[in-house]
Amino acid sequence: MGYLIAIVILCGINIVAALGVAILTGYTGLFTIGHAGFMALGGYMSAIMVKELNVPYPLALLIGGAFAGICSFIIGYPAFRSRLRGDYFAIATLGFSEAIRLLLNNTRGLGQSLQDSTSSFGQGASSLLIKLGGAFGYMNLPNVTNVWVVVVTVALAMFFAHMYVTSQYGKNSIAISQDEVAAEMMGVNLLKTKLISLFISAFYAGVAGGLLGFYFAYLSPSLFTITKSSDLLAAVVFGGIQSLIGPFITAFVLIGVPELLRTFAEWRLIIYGFLFVIVMIFRPQGLLGYVEMNFSFLGRWWNAIFRRKHTPSQKG
Amino acid sequence: MSEEILSIKNLTVDFGGVRAVNDVSLSLRKGEFIGLIGPNGAGKTTIFNLITNAFQPTSGEIIFKGQSILGKSPDQICRLGISRTFQNIRLFPQMTAYENVELGLHSTPRYSLAEAFIRTPRAARIEAETRKRAHELLEMVNLSQHANARASSLPYGLQRRLELARAMATSPELLLLDEPAAGMNEDECKELVQLIRQIHNTMGYTMIMIEHHMNVVMDLCRDSLIYVLNLGSLLAVGSPAEIQNNPDVIRAYLGERKNGRDNAHA
Repeated sequence: MGYLIAIVILCGINIVAALGVAILTGYTGLFTIGHAGFMALGGYMSAIMVKELNVPYPLALLIGGAFAGICSFIIGYPAFRSRLRGDYFAIATLGFSEAIRLLLNNTRGLGQSLQDSTSSFGQGASSLLIKLGGAFGYMNLPNVTNVWVVVVTVALAMFFAHMYVTSQYGKNSIAISQDEVAAEMMGVNLLKTKLISLFISAFYAGVAGGLLGFYFAYLSPSLFTITKSSDLLAAVVFGGIQSLIGPFITAFVLIGVPELLRTFAEWRLIIYGFLFVIVMIFRPQGLLGYVEMNFSFLGRWWNAIFRRKHTPSQKG
Repeated sequence: MSEEILSIKNLTVDFGGVRAVNDVSLSLRKGEFIGLIGPNGAGKTTIFNLITNAFQPTSGEIIFKGQSILGKSPDQICRLGISRTFQNIRLFPQMTAYENVELGLHSTPRYSLAEAFIRTPRAARIEAETRKRAHELLEMVNLSQHANARASSLPYGLQRRLELARAMATSPELLLLDEPAAGMNEDECKELVQLIRQIHNTMGYTMIMIEHHMNVVMDLCRDSLIYVLNLGSLLAVGSPAEIQNNPDVIRAYLGERKNGRDNAHA
């Protein structure tokens, strides 16, 4: 039972991050292979908040998310100003996340080199950087993420994502993903709309990073490699663009199944590659592409399964 | 009614060594409807692209409602009140007809981001107003029964009308129509002429229309001016009758006789 709960927690954390990628890639049309970087930023920030500053845990998660969101402007503003998109933007995000990971890998060395600093700020920075532990990881975090926290966070994340993508802001993002030139000519402020999408997306990733740290009770840069980013992107590509429920389901499946079939786990990347090709050929919009989140399908399933016991509602 | 709304002065643009638009000046009074015609490659669409700042002119000035709009981004220009349709239709293909029109209404979101997340009563009311207005616009171009059809699945003629509705949704003062009748047959053209005239009369837009169908241009511009462009320069300005009898225009369209040989390529 404990093992199953652990899988549910890991799936839930990934769903939160995947919903962030869905907002950016699925709805705004900006491919990202750097969301592990935003997870790392949010995770480390919320860990510092709780461990060093004794900030309450839920607040720390929000601060971590906001920090990741604000950091996203570092990459977003210059990239969107120069109209990077498609592969080029994806590569920019990859570079950003690798830069974050390498920086975190070397915090210990950086901290030690600052140890001789005379200013109190230098001393403080030095001791904090050493505590982050570089490639060894940031140890002894409070182990407070449990299944209820994750379930509530996923529910809130789903709710707010749905609110966003059905709002006027979200609909403008969809227009950008379909025809950027036409959207701009019709009055959509490209820079602002994309930055808002990126901020929300990075916020989600940051919160997921925080949850992850407080679940494992440690954080290390090796948790946030490009494999993590591509897992998230895979969830959105398989799950379908302009869909929240699609990435929700695939994030669950893509994390849950390899965990359950542990011996099979190394084959995951090969199978992903194979599935990518299949999906691109037969269903380029993803399994549930353009499927809006609504729960009428539950009713249909219910009828299909229990048709004999319940009188089916009128066919339509 | 007669104040000047748009004035273009000595507009020139070079693409590499090609001068696509050469020293074009024109001015429009509020509520006026003008036609812009010329052979292929004359620079008609380029002028639209310059007005909406899809790219920058090499020299010249564009003044809209008393202020220069050079260097403003396309979305700012849209917000100032210039909207357009496209020669090669640019609808949002995967969105429904209704959503396409709706976008024009909320391209500048009308409630704050916080309200987007918690949908205050105010945001809900704005959404309802937007919905109502979008359906009114669809009604105006006779597309109500196609409101929920995916834009890319609509027939060509309907896509043109949908673009018109989307352009109207941004509540423009100046509407630029780029070949609204392209690819339409006689009957569809007649319907379109009626529709455009009705829109012009009821909405009070100032309009510039590029069109190759001469029947459409001559009919819609019967009380106003037609500008003729050729090779980037303004060739003639006048009423439909004047343009039809202008020897320069005929030469530009049909070519001219040289050395007794017929070089005409109609």
